[in-house]
Parts: sequence; structure tokens; C-alpha cells
Amino acid sequence: MTSAAVAPASVATAPRRTTNPLAVTPLAITAVGAVSAAGIGLEALGRAVVEGAAGYTDPSGIGEESLPPRPVRIVPDLPVAELLGRKGTRHLDRTTKLALVACRLTLDAHPGQTGERSGVVLGTSTGSIRSSSEFSLETLRQERPYLVNPSLFPNTVMNCAAGQIAIRHKLHGVNATIAGGHLSGVQALRYARNALRQGHADRILVGGVEEFCAQSAWGWHLSGSLGTDVPVGEGAAMLMVEQDADASAAGHPVLARVLACETGYGTPGRLADALASVVSTALERCDRRPEQVGAVSYGATGLTGLQRIEERGVRAALGDRVPGRRVAVKEPVGECFSATGILQIAGLIGAWRHTAALAGELALVTAVARDGNVGCAVLEAGHLG
Amino acid sequence: MPRTASALTTEQDEILRAIVIDVLELEPEELTDTSSFVDDHDADSLLAIEILARIEKDLGVAIPQDDLTQMTNLDGVRSVVSRCLKEAADV
Amino acid sequence: MSERGPRRVVVTGLGAVSSAGMGADEFTASIRAGRRTTSPVRSFDTTGFPHVHAGEVHDFEPRRWLRGIDPGQWGRSSQFAASAARLAVEDAGLAADDLARTRAGSVMGTTSGESAVIEELVGAWAADGLKALPPDLVGSAPAGRIAAAVNSELGLPGEALTLATACSASNYALGYAFDMVACGDADYMLAGGADSLNRWAHAGFYRLGALAEEICRPFDTDRSGILTAEGGVALLLEPYERAVARGARIYAEVLGYSVNCDAEHMVHPDPTSIAACIRAAHRSAGVEPEQIDYICAHGTGTRTNDATEVAAVREVFGERIPPISSIKSMIGHTMGAASGFGALICCRALHDGFLPPTAGVRRTDPDLGPGVDPVPGQARLAQPSIVENHGFAFGGNNAITILGRVT
Repeated sequence: MTSAAVAPASVATAPRRTTNPLAVTPLAITAVGAVSAAGIGLEALGRAVVEGAAGYTDPSGIGEESLPPRPVRIVPDLPVAELLGRKGTRHLDRTTKLALVACRLTLDAHPGQTGERSGVVLGTSTGSIRSSSEFSLETLRQERPYLVNPSLFPNTVMNCAAGQIAIRHKLHGVNATIAGGHLSGVQALRYARNALRQGHADRILVGGVEEFCAQSAWGWHLSGSLGTDVPVGEGAAMLMVEQDADASAAGHPVLARVLACETGYGTPGRLADALASVVSTALERCDRRPEQVGAVSYGATGLTGLQRIEERGVRAALGDRVPGRRVAVKEPVGECFSATGILQIAGLIGAWRHTAALAGELALVTAVARDGNVGCAVLEAGHLG
Repeated sequence: MPRTASALTTEQDEILRAIVIDVLELEPEELTDTSSFVDDHDADSLLAIEILARIEKDLGVAIPQDDLTQMTNLDGVRSVVSRCLKEAADV
Repeated sequence: MSERGPRRVVVTGLGAVSSAGMGADEFTASIRAGRRTTSPVRSFDTTGFPHVHAGEVHDFEPRRWLRGIDPGQWGRSSQFAASAARLAVEDAGLAADDLARTRAGSVMGTTSGESAVIEELVGAWAADGLKALPPDLVGSAPAGRIAAAVNSELGLPGEALTLATACSASNYALGYAFDMVACGDADYMLAGGADSLNRWAHAGFYRLGALAEEICRPFDTDRSGILTAEGGVALLLEPYERAVARGARIYAEVLGYSVNCDAEHMVHPDPTSIAACIRAAHRSAGVEPEQIDYICAHGTGTRTNDATEVAAVREVFGERIPPISSIKSMIGHTMGAASGFGALICCRALHDGFLPPTAGVRRTDPDLGPGVDPVPGQARLAQPSIVENHGFAFGGNNAITILGRVT
């Protein structure tokens, strides 16, 4: 054993390239897929965001439990059979179906290959809270607690959707599930950026998913953390993300670039400062000035107490200037919790495309959570053709 | 009627058939007495356990997990369930 | 393609909340002795379950360990994680105030998040309907609270990331923390995982035929499955240069890691894919198979896992398989924390000089093939230099970390 004793040190002390700690390599978004109450596909979402249209609002068909008296946004007619096939979908829960449909749409829109060297980074909060709580309820209601359906057990595990995506599309690269709630989008991008940099995959599907169910609707309603007139929604969005240089080399058209994504943590009472600080750091890291930011998409819109904190933090970082374009994704799709972050980005790209925005327009996508997490991403419009 | 089903009522036999068809997502005519769950119907061990679990629940009979190895086709299921029902009745 | 950060990264603090004790010292002593600390479940009603044993953390008193957060506002998994992190920082000899002034963050892994909270909510639902859900419990349910609890407890201003990659999640967390420190994104990172016992997993594993009755016996001829378990674990990572400068005790260096996905089946591991993950971990660490002195196995104690794991190891190591043991034989399967406990015991094995044992092995399963040394019984004195820590998960998620002794 002693023969190997020096190996780690010698390996580790081999000269390594030192990098400027502030420099970050941009990520290229080369395909986008989205399902939401605005409809199936990016175009529907982009149009709804630009026009401020309310999405689909009929929750019948979600289940038998009664729902709280408040507005909702539901994905209409999820095309499961058309996009996923008829067999092997019987036990998939709504979370997994939403994620698989968004994934299918993204892969269909992606010009390059997937497979072997592709990965998945998917944002959630609890996995399907409906699946885990219904499975748990069965242990109380059956004659014996173990008389549960074993085929539903996988749905109770938080990485179920990410695993199903990998299996369906044979994606052998990194397969991460981020439990970040409202921060899932920014955290997933950060995680994917590192994974690409470390070579754990050549391209990564970065997504977020949230299903509408009675359990979470009541949770939002009773906790008071969401404004009473704010609809509870659902959806999934997925971005195909590659290193910018790889996308260029492969000739993939770049819809948008993620120039920076930063996260931090603030103590209660210091959340706005913490957000302002990560926004400033993010702009610094991609060498952009606050006045260049042309659009903002806020993640905490509608969240009691947090909406103002978020707006205050952004204003502080941008020098009291409010950018011209405000991308409000919650009006059409509702409060989508873990899917919100990536839906903000998909909504931004959809809106850019719908309005034929010029390449180079700069946007800020922010997120704040009550526990203290704050984050933001800086995006630049590509050739949206 | 297959000989292994002797201990089963017609109703029980129909329930078993229906469970297998449902769990393996088959058309009724696809399932024969001897068609292999794994080779002919793409079953995996999770689906096999689901069949066992559904039978336990719907017929109110306990089936040892070790018997899964014999439950490779409908006849195998019948013989295991017959035995378990008989053992339960003998106790 | 790969772009390793310029800094060497070492582990200087360890914290544990487990059935085998509080803190790394108690935990390590228990494991070295080969003591089994699983027992009948008390935290939920086991009436009607034929199998009732698990690795429960009995009589956990969060107020004894937590200084920064009010345990009443956080779920059990969050309390485990924050307590383990507090213990790791103390173990590292760092003043918490000093740590809070640096770019320090946390990344924690989990399988079922705040499952005990969710089951309390389910209890309220079953009794009085969904409209009776207690609002404060709703706020404690998100799994992302686990890393948030660590940052809140210690006042850390950096990232608070919760990775829900099931039973390999702590290794995922350790790998990410390693990158963040290596590339200079963070000054310190706490990495680990936490999970709580829950009825639904107990029922699910029993229904799958994967739950042992009383004893988990990895690698044994008569192994019959896992025991579910709970706990929290945290490792403090910092740059080697700073650890040396502040005179810290260095347990181990993180040499590299790898993650991949079988993409085959949700519950059946694939040996070829696991072997690929092991090879990639070796490449990442810059080591050859013959340099690995010990493997801390995923070793769940199911027939399938152990056979698949040994087959994968054999594919990479050929004739000479390093000693390979499973601490799940003593503490059960702590799910998202499992590979974190594996990493913790690897650090102590490297630093203190021993190989962790597998308890309960009466006859090593001959079907696993020749040359399998599960270190039966108690720890063996040895001086391992480089060790490999396995974590495999539901969904075909594999993550492997490589740790080395710093001499």
C-alpha cells in the first residue's frame, strides 16, 4: 500500500492551468421545449407572455380531491400518447409525464445528436408530492400497510422524472435532480455549467417541472405564501445547453447564451441585499454593465412578502433603473414553483422570438426564496430566427 | 380449463387473467396459458412483483416472494395461487 | 474537455448524526467495532409490517446540537443536516463566525427530502382532509430546506444546494463541492446528505421484497435485503494550502469523482455502466486500479446489488479485487446520506489507519466469485493510501468518489 502513498500528491501538484476566478465560459441554449397552461410548445408560451394572455384555467380531470377556492392554470390535453407512445406510460405520474413531454419537444427542436454523452439536470422541490403522499396514504388505508402497488413506488422518489428521461432517450451522462423550489432554475444552470466544464456530459437537458395537484394547491392556499388572487399553475420547461464553443463548432444555432448564473444566501432581513449582491457579481463576471440590461424576469412575483424584496434587490443592483421589458411569465402559466425558473427563461426566449428581438439584448432572470436562497442568471439573445 | 387451475374457481381464474392483462398492458388475446411474461410480454421484475401484489390484495391471499420465480406465465401464476389458497385453507 | 480547478481540496471536518452515534468519533468507534446499531422502529407505527427493524436515530435532541436555527421551524432531515454540519465545523477547529465571513456554502444530498414532514401532512389529510393541512408543516416540506438549514444554522452566505439524486446523492454533493472549492468559486463547502425514516419507503421496499427481516448482511450467502435507515452527515472541504496554513488536521484529499447514468431501468443496476463510472472516477483522480487499497461499497445487502457491484468491480480490477466492505451492515441504508457516511468513514480510515468492516458476514457468497474480501467482523488495521467510495441509486444514478491520504 505504501507504494501508492505518494501518488495523490504527485497527481494533485501537477501544474494546472490557473484561471481568472471571475471569468466564466458562456453556455449556449440550442433548443427549448415548454408545456404550460399557455399550451404545448415554446411558441404558445412566447405569444402568451407577450400578449399577457391568461392560460388554460379548467382543473377538471386533475383528480377527485376538492380544490381550494382560487384561480388555477392547468396544462390542457397533455399529448402523452402522441409524444411518448402508448405502452409503458400507465404508471408514470403527472410530474414525470410533464417532464417527458417537455424533453421530447426539446429534443425534437435540437439540431444535433443526443444519447451517450448527454445528461439531465432537472429542478424539483419534493418530486411529485401527489405521488409520495398518495403512496403514504395507502400505507394507512390498506388492511396491511405494505399492500401498496410496487410499480408506483418509483414515483415517490424525487429523481424519478430525471431517471425516466435518461432511460427513454439513453442519456448516459450526469443525471442530477436539484431540489431548489424557486431557485431550481438558476441552481440547475449552475450545476450544468460545472458538469459541462468537468466533462460529465457534452450537452445537458436543463429543466424544471411542477405538476398541479390538490395537495400542493391546498398547501399554497393554506400557507398564505402566495397572494390570494395569484393562480396556482403547473408546467415543465427544458433547455438544451452546451458549452458555447461546442455549439459553435457543431454549427448549432444559438437561441440564447447564459453569460452568468450566480447564487447566494441571505439571512432574514438581508434578502434584498443578498440578491443585489449576486446580480452585481453576475454582471461583473460576464463583463456587462447594469445599464445594458434590457429585460427582467422576476421569479417571486405573487409571493407574499418576497415580490417587493426581489424588485428592491434588482433595482439596487441596476442603479435605480428599471429595464424596459418586463417578462411576466406567471400571468399565463401561474405559480409553477420548481418549474418557474426555467419557464422564466423559456418565456423570455419565446417572447424574444415572438417580437423578433435583436441578437445581443441582455436580460436578467432572478429568484428569491423565503429560506434565504437568492440567485440570478444573465442571458443574451442569440439568433432567434 | 388447465389442470393447474383445479383449485381455483372460475371467478378467481378470471381475476388472475385480468390482473396479468392489466399489469402487462396486453390485449386479452395476447395472453395465453404459457406465453412468457418476460420473453413474450416485456415484463420485468417490478411488474412481476406488481402482479403478485395485486393478487394478494384482490384475492386476499398471502404469496411468499420466493414464489415469484415460478410465476413466469399464467399457468405458473395459477399453480402458485392454488397452492397458497390451499395452504391458507388447511391452516 | 475536462477542466479541473487549480486548487487541491482536502477534508478537514467531519460530522455525523446516526444510529451509531453523534459526531465522527462516536460513529467511527462504533463502525470499527463492527457494532450493529439497527433496532425496531419507534418513529412510526409499525403495526401490520412483518419486518420492523431499521437504522433509526433514537432520542435525537436537535436543541442540543443546533445554535443558529429554531428546530421547531425545520423538518427532521434539515435538523439532521444542520446538526451534522455544525459538528463538522467544530471538528475542523473553525470558529463559526470566521467561517460565515468567507465565501462558504453547502451542498447536501437526499432521497426523500423531508419525508417525515410529508407523512405528518398525510396524517392530517387522512384524519380531516386536505383543507386541514397545518400551514407551518407545509412550509417545512420542500427538500431544498435541507441545505438551507445548513446555511441558516451557520450563517453561510454562499450557495445552498440540495441534490435529490436518491441514494448516490451525497457522492454527487461531494463531487460538486470539490469542484467549487477546486476552481475557487467557494472558500469552504460543507458536503453531505440527510434523510429520515418513513413508512412509505418501508412499505415500498418490503413490497419489492428488498427489506431484510432483522439483519442486513451484505456479501453473505444468506443476505436477504436492506434495512431502511436515517441520519445526517457532513464533510468540510477547503483548499489544501489554507488547511496547511491554519494548521488544520487533514483527514484526506478529494482526488476525483465521476457520475453517470445506466439509462436502463429504474430499479436494476447495470454492471457495465457502473464499471464505466469506476474507470472515469480513476481517470478523474489520476489513479490506476492497482493503486486502490479499499472500496467502501454501496453494498445494500440485496442479492442483486451486491452481485452487480462485485461484477462491476471485477470488470475493472480483474483478478485482484481490493478489500470491499459495507457499513450498511451496521447502520442500515441511510439513503441520500449513505455515500456521505461512506465518505466519512473513508476519511477516518485513511487518517486513522484501518479498513472498515462488514458486520454479520458468516459465509461470503461463493456466487460472487473468488477473491472477495468483505473485511468481516471488525475493522482491520491497515494503512490505506487511496480509497474508492461507491454510491448507486434508483434511476441508475451512479456516483463514485476517490479519496487519498495526505502524507
